Amino acid sequence: MAPVQYDEATRLYPGTPAPAVNRLNLSVADGELLVLVGPSGSGKSTALRMLAGLEPLDNGRILIGGNDVSGVRPRDRDIAMVFQSYALYPNLDVAQNMGFALKQQGVPKEERLKRVRDVAKLLDLEPYLARKPRHLSGGQRQRVAMGRAIVRHPKVYLMDEPLSNLDAKLRVQTRAELVELQQRLAVTTVYVTHDQVEAMTMGHRVAVLRDGDLQQVDAPSTLYHAPANLFVAGFIGSPAMNMLPVSVDGSIRIAGAEIRIREAPGGERTTIGFRPETVVIGNDGPIPARIRIVEDLGSEVFVHLVVDHENEERRIVAKVDPPFAGKPDESVRLTLRGALHLFDATEVRRATVTL
Amino acid sequence: MTAAAAAATRTKGTARDPFSSAWRRRLPLLPALLYVVAITQLPFLVSIYYSFTNLKDKTQSLIPEPTRYVGFANYRQIFSDPFFRQAIWTSVKMTVLAVLLSLIIGTLFAILLDRKFLGQGVIRTLLITPFLLMPVVAALIWKQQMFSSLFGVLNKALNFLGFNSVAFISDHPLGSIVTVLVWQWTPFMMLIVLAGLQSQPAEILEAANVDGATPFGIFRQLTFPHLRRYLELGALLGSIYIVQAFDAIDVMTAGGPGSTNVPYYVYQESIGGGFRYGAASAYAIVVVVFSIIIATFALRVLSSLFREEARA
Amino acid sequence: MTDRERRGAKLGVGERRAAVAGLGVLAWLVALLWIFPFAWTVFTSFKTEQDAAAQTLHQGLSFGRYSDVSHSTSGTLSLQSAFTNSLVVVVVSTLIVLALALPAAYALAIRPVHRWRDVLFFFISTKFLPIVASIFPIYVYAEKWNLIGTRTVLIILYIAINLPLAIWMTRSFFMEVPRELIEAAEIDGTSLFNQLRSVILPITAPGIAATALLCVIFAWNEYFYALQLNFANASTMPQWVTTNVSTRGNFLAKLSAASIIACLAVVLAGWAAQKRMIRGLSMGALK
Repeated sequence: MAPVQYDEATRLYPGTPAPAVNRLNLSVADGELLVLVGPSGSGKSTALRMLAGLEPLDNGRILIGGNDVSGVRPRDRDIAMVFQSYALYPNLDVAQNMGFALKQQGVPKEERLKRVRDVAKLLDLEPYLARKPRHLSGGQRQRVAMGRAIVRHPKVYLMDEPLSNLDAKLRVQTRAELVELQQRLAVTTVYVTHDQVEAMTMGHRVAVLRDGDLQQVDAPSTLYHAPANLFVAGFIGSPAMNMLPVSVDGSIRIAGAEIRIREAPGGERTTIGFRPETVVIGNDGPIPARIRIVEDLGSEVFVHLVVDHENEERRIVAKVDPPFAGKPDESVRLTLRGALHLFDATEVRRATVTL
Repeated sequence: MTAAAAAATRTKGTARDPFSSAWRRRLPLLPALLYVVAITQLPFLVSIYYSFTNLKDKTQSLIPEPTRYVGFANYRQIFSDPFFRQAIWTSVKMTVLAVLLSLIIGTLFAILLDRKFLGQGVIRTLLITPFLLMPVVAALIWKQQMFSSLFGVLNKALNFLGFNSVAFISDHPLGSIVTVLVWQWTPFMMLIVLAGLQSQPAEILEAANVDGATPFGIFRQLTFPHLRRYLELGALLGSIYIVQAFDAIDVMTAGGPGSTNVPYYVYQESIGGGFRYGAASAYAIVVVVFSIIIATFALRVLSSLFREEARA
Repeated sequence: MTDRERRGAKLGVGERRAAVAGLGVLAWLVALLWIFPFAWTVFTSFKTEQDAAAQTLHQGLSFGRYSDVSHSTSGTLSLQSAFTNSLVVVVVSTLIVLALALPAAYALAIRPVHRWRDVLFFFISTKFLPIVASIFPIYVYAEKWNLIGTRTVLIILYIAINLPLAIWMTRSFFMEVPRELIEAAEIDGTSLFNQLRSVILPITAPGIAATALLCVIFAWNEYFYALQLNFANASTMPQWVTTNVSTRGNFLAKLSAASIIACLAVVLAGWAAQKRMIRGLSMGALK
C-alpha cells in the first residue's frame, strides 16, 4: 500500500507527432481508487502501462511510495495488474495462475496454497481451482484475474478495463463487488476505463484524459456539477449535456427566447451547457420546442426535442419524471431551471448560473 | 462460429438413400481418395506379392532363373542380414540426430528472430533459402564446396589456421549427411517455432513480467509449454521427410558404410545394383510394417492436435 | 499499438537498447554464417575454374560458366529440355493436385464426412511409406505401359506425393472460413463448385497459394523418381545438375553455375512468398 505520483510523466511514441501522454501530473493517495477515464486514444492505458513499467518514460518521473521507479523493471515494482483480456496463463490451472507470482517470489508451497485458497474463497472460485482457463466462463476468468492480483498484497493495483468484456448485467454486479473489495483491502488502485458510468460509480476521484492531456481530476460529483471545460462537461453524464452556442450581453437568447442571467462575461461568443434535468417541459415557458421522440425507461423519461436556435435546428434532451403525456411532433414550451454553465471560446468553463 | 465448431455439432444423416446427404458429402472426397489409393496402395500390394518370390532382373544375371514362389525365405534372410540391421541403425541415428538438431537450432533461431530489429525480414529470407534448394544441390554444395579435401572452404580455413585437412566425407559419412539435412531443415523448424512464438499473446508475457518472472522463467513456465504442440508438429513433419532421405546419400557417399539408411539399402538391393527385387520387396514390406507401428504412435500425437482443434 | 507490434517492440523499462541491438547483430551474424555455403556457391559460379578450385580470385568474375553450362553437348541432357520437362511436370502436377485437393478439403472441412479424422490420417499415413517400397512395382508397370522416360509418369507420381500435404493444408484453411458465409451460400442453393469459386476461394486464396508453392517446391526438387524412371538424357532439373558433376576433375565453377540456375526459380518464388509460406506452414499444419 503506497501512494502513487505521476510527475510530468511523458510518453512519445517514435514517429508520432504528439505525445501519447503529455506531462501528466497526478497524485493518488494511499488506499485511494483513482479512475483514469477518456475516449480511446486518450492515453489512459498508456499512462497505466507507464506505471506498470511496460512503457518507458520519455520524460518526467513516476513514484510509488515516494520512490522513483521510473527506471525499475515491472517485476521489481511490487505491483499487480489486471488486464482487459485477463491474460490468464493457459497452461496452468486456476490455483497455479493465482499462485504464479508467489511462486516467482519463492514463497513456500504450503503458504502459497493457503493464500490462494483464502482468496479463492473470497471470490467464490473454490470449485474451479483445478480447472484450466479455457474451461471457465468469462465472468469466472475475470475473477481469476482479480484473484491473481489480490493474492499478492502489492503496493498498487493496476486495472486496465477489467469489466469491458463482461455482459452488461454481470458488469454492473461485478462493479459493485469490486468497489466493496477495494474498500476492504484498502490498497491504492489505479483503474482505467472508457465508460464514464463506471468511472462515476467507482472512483474516489476521477481523472479525465483527452489526447494525452489531463483535463480534470476531481471527485465524481465535482466533475458532474463543476466541469472544468467543454470536453469534461460533454464526456461526463449520460445523456450528454445539452450545448448551444450563444452571444452573451446581459442576457442569453435561446431559440429566440431571452433568459436573463445575473453574471455576464461580456459580449463574446460562448457556449452554454445545461444538463437534461434542468429542462422543464410545459405549456408555458420562454423556449418553444417540438418533441421528436419520447424514451420511457420506467423510472425516468428522456424526451428528445428540437428547437429553432439562431435559424438552425438544434436537438435538446430533457429528463422528466414519469408520467409524461407528450407525444412526438407536439409543440411544447421549455423552461430552464438549474445550473447553466458558460464556456468561453477556449472551451474553459467561466461561470455557472443557477436559474 | 467457424466451420470447425459447427461440424462438431452436426447430426448424422441417413445412409439408406444413395443420394442422401452422407453420400453427397463423400463425393468431393472420392477423386483424391481413389487416386491416392491407386497410386500408393496398389504398388504396395504388388510388392507384397513380389516379396514372396525370388524375382530377379533376368537381363542382369548370367544364368537366368525362373521366377518362383519362395515363401518366407526372403523374410528369413532379413533377420540374418547384418547390412540390413546396420541400415536400420543408421536410419535411426540419422533421423533422430537430424530432427533433434534442426529442432533445437531452429528453436534458438526463432527465439533470436522473435523481436523487431533492423533487417529482420532480410534475415528471415536468407535463413529460409537452404530449405528451398534441391536436396541434390544442397548435398553437392557441401560435398564440393565445403567438405572437399582438395578444394573445400572448410579445409582451406583449417589449413590457414595451421591445422591439417580433414576428410569430412570419408571419415565422417554419417556426420556429413546429417550436416546437410540439418542445414536444410533448420529453417523449416524455425518457421514453425516462430509461428508458435508469435501466436502467444503479448499480454500473457507482460502479465508474467508484472508477476515477477524473469525472462528465462517466462520461457520455461509459459512459452515452452505453449510451444510443445509446435515442436511436436515440427518433429513429426520433419521425421516423415527425413526418414526417407535419399538424395544426399546418393550424391555424397553413394551408400558407403555408416551412411546407408534403409531407403538407400533397399534401393541398392533392387534397382541400384542388386536387382534382387524379391528380396528387396521383403525388406520394403518390413520397413512398412515398422512405419505403421510408428505411425500409430504418431496418430496419438495427431489426435491430440485434432482434439485441441475441436476444443478451441 | 497492435498486439503484434507490442510483441516486436518489447522495449519496456529495463530492456536496454544496447542489449536489443546486440541481439540484432547476433541475428545478422547467425544468418550470414548459415547462408554462407549458398552465398559462396553463388560467388563461385562467377569465377573461372582455376579460381574456383583454389578458392582465390585472380581472374575476375563473369557469366562465362553460366553460358558454358547452358550449351548442350549431344548425348547428354540439355538445360533446355531438362527445364522444359521440369516446368511441365511441376505445373501440371500442381494444378491437378489443387483440382483434387480442394474438393477433398471441402469434404473434410465444410461439410465433413463422418470419419474425417480417419480419412485425414490415412492421407498422411501414405507419406509414412517409404517411396523405395513401391518403386519397383511402379517401374515394372511403367515399363509395361511405355511410360518410362515420359513426363506423364512423373506427373502421376508427383500428384500422389503432394496430395496428402495439400489436402491437410487446404483443409485447415477452409476451417477458417466463417460459418455464416457457408450457410448463406447453402440457403441460396449454390452448388459446390460455385461455393468454392465465389465464397471459399477468395478468403482462402493466400493459403491456397502457400500450399501450391510448397507443392511446386517439392515437385521441382524431387530426385529419386526422376532418376529411376527416366533415361539419362530425358530427365528433369535435379538430374541435369548431377550431369555437371564431372569425374574427370572438379569443375566447381560450372557446377556452381548449374546449381544456381536449377534452384533460382524456386528460391525467388520462396523469397517472394515467404510470408504466405510461413503462414501456410504453421496454420495449415496446426490450426
